[in-house]
Amino acid sequence: MRRRGFLAGASVFAATGFPDVAQAAGRFRLGLTPVFLDNDADVIHHLRTAFSQAMGEPVDLIQRRTYQEITAAILDGSVDAAWICGYPFLQHRDSLALLGVPVWQGRPLYQSYLIVRADDEAKGLQDLRRHVHAFSDPDSNSGYLVTASDLSRVGETPDSFFSRSVFTYGHRNVVRAVASGLTRSGSVDGYVWETLASVEPSLTSRTKVLAKSEWLGFPPFAARADKAQDPSILNFSAALRGLAASPAGREALRLLYLDGVQEGDASLFDGIAARMAELEVR
Amino acid sequence: MLLRVGTWPITVRVVAASAVLMVLFGLVASQQVLSTLGRLQDARLQEYARLHVEGLAVALGPFVLHKDVWEVYDTLDRARAETSGGRILFTVVADELGRVLAATDPDRAPVDSEVGAFTKDAVPLGEVTAANGDTVVQVRAPLSVQGRDVGQIVTELDVRDLVLQRRKTAFALLAGNALATLTLALAGYFVMARMLQPVELLARHMGEAGGTPHPIPEAVIPHSDSVLTKLLRNYNSMAEAIDARAEAERRLAERERFVSLGRLSSSLAHEINNPLGGLLNATDTIQTYADRPDVVRQSAALLDRGLNHLRDVSRAILEENRTERSGRRLSKSDFEDLRLLFEPETTRRGQQLEWQVGDCDQLFQCVRSGPVRQITLNLLLNASAAAPRGGAVGLRVQSEGDRLLLTVADDGPGLSEVAQSRLMSQARLEPGGGVGLRLVRDLVAGLGGDIAYRRSQGRSEITVSLQGREAMPC
Repeated sequence: MRRRGFLAGASVFAATGFPDVAQAAGRFRLGLTPVFLDNDADVIHHLRTAFSQAMGEPVDLIQRRTYQEITAAILDGSVDAAWICGYPFLQHRDSLALLGVPVWQGRPLYQSYLIVRADDEAKGLQDLRRHVHAFSDPDSNSGYLVTASDLSRVGETPDSFFSRSVFTYGHRNVVRAVASGLTRSGSVDGYVWETLASVEPSLTSRTKVLAKSEWLGFPPFAARADKAQDPSILNFSAALRGLAASPAGREALRLLYLDGVQEGDASLFDGIAARMAELEVR
Repeated sequence: MLLRVGTWPITVRVVAASAVLMVLFGLVASQQVLSTLGRLQDARLQEYARLHVEGLAVALGPFVLHKDVWEVYDTLDRARAETSGGRILFTVVADELGRVLAATDPDRAPVDSEVGAFTKDAVPLGEVTAANGDTVVQVRAPLSVQGRDVGQIVTELDVRDLVLQRRKTAFALLAGNALATLTLALAGYFVMARMLQPVELLARHMGEAGGTPHPIPEAVIPHSDSVLTKLLRNYNSMAEAIDARAEAERRLAERERFVSLGRLSSSLAHEINNPLGGLLNATDTIQTYADRPDVVRQSAALLDRGLNHLRDVSRAILEENRTERSGRRLSKSDFEDLRLLFEPETTRRGQQLEWQVGDCDQLFQCVRSGPVRQITLNLLLNASAAAPRGGAVGLRVQSEGDRLLLTVADDGPGLSEVAQSRLMSQARLEPGGGVGLRLVRDLVAGLGGDIAYRRSQGRSEITVSLQGREAMPC
């Protein structure tokens, strides 16, 4: 059940989703991206139910394909808040306010994994030179920034190091790309890979983790900074942090393999900021 | 022998011919069925391939245009997962330069590898066929976006089921045709056997007794079919006519023998009469000089020689008359008899007789005496009649391998064309003329031999060649 809840496709959400034109004033709009969340009806349903109950108003869940699109949606006001990645959060640090950070396995932290096929003989990143590599999103920390900054440390860029880089716009897609042999390696969210190992072991068993990054700040919920004190945002922040308090929220968290959402601190993302700095310097 | 179709019973031949025609018809019909099935299968396969490729082409076009490897792969992967029936085994998509963008099995077609390995055996959509027996066929199609070729797609289709279906159909047709042919052939055999019973009856009677036609007993002639009844009765009439003709020929041959003797009678009468004068003188001498033992002894010796000669002549005549019915084998004494009978004729005509009988005892043992005596005597009489008074007549008997050669020669004017025809061919006999030469021909044919005629330097030679072994078992 949890597997089905975690997996499935964006199409399910699209079919049962909420068109922008239908978003009447007064409905809170929360942005999501399949880059991180390969959501399905169960997760959507429980999240929407939990937030709607906690906030006392209907909540629409809006999904976009890329972090860039969902970040732009926050900035242009198309959505009121969104679950994004620490990398775009830091890219727009001045314009965004941190609403909460999910807690996974007791900490608001996760890692980036460098994965290859289970039978691959590569020992490290250097062995992957001149091969095809899968990233999840150019604005993903675990799915791009970590590997790109690792390469930067050795004076390389993804384009110079790999024969070709492929963006799959989904961490699960990165695992699929590597497992099928489409790409030799991939950069994937450690939280997603570990969760997939529980719910879809037939997929992750065809891959193995070649390297893990340091612990970095978990992808946070954010809103536009200038609207951070709006009652609806404050209301959402409270609902977010109290997610574990309601049955629907607990069910949503269970399906997402998360413990809860904490207030969080921008310093959680210092590691990501450091990697961004390395990338920008070179 | 059984391999020769001509020796098979007519019933079997008719049924076999019908079976062969049915098999041929069955093969042609089966080929038509298989051809139609193949066309339907190919049309279905082409339609399936077209829908698959065109569907993918629509979905993939923009991704191929932008060389979006992941989206191409994801589209292929989802299409494969959602394709029912498992007909699509593998699909690979390449850009306009022939470099692989993605494939359903990236291990077979890695990203950026050359697509040529997959296109070289692939056929265009309109040429897809399952007829060549391959269980997998490769199809290629261009990928276009707004009329511009941006890449190509190659798909492997599993056509095992279609090939199997075709094989099963072919087997079913083969088995069905074989069964139908066998059943109808058996049924046909019984029907034909019944219908052709009178013909079989006719063939049996025609072939009996070494090819001599034999009348069909009236009791076994079927009366249910008036045409066949008439045919069989006509046959009986013909067989009786042949019998009558054979009997007439036999009687003619018999008479010819007497004719031969008749032609000799004058000479033989002299042969008997001449010694009679001497013998009568001897008896007078004995009566006159009965008291002179030495004269009596001389006369008695004369009497003995004369009587012995008469005995030999009469024995030869008797033998000539008797041997026709005898199964006795030829011997040198037969030729001595012939000489005894024939020589007086040459003497009477003042002709010189050349007589050479070689030592052919082994071959003689393989030939019946009667026909050879008749042949030789007839030819000698003809030769003597043809040779002028004071001319020459000759007989040479020799062996050549396993053949016995009898050559009769004379210095007469030679055989006319009509006479040669009588002797050498089966041409119808013209009215008039004797039957002696034709009788020689028939007798030689009966012994399995042949006759040659040669004319050179004023001499005619007729050579009869008899096969020693075949004429009579040695």
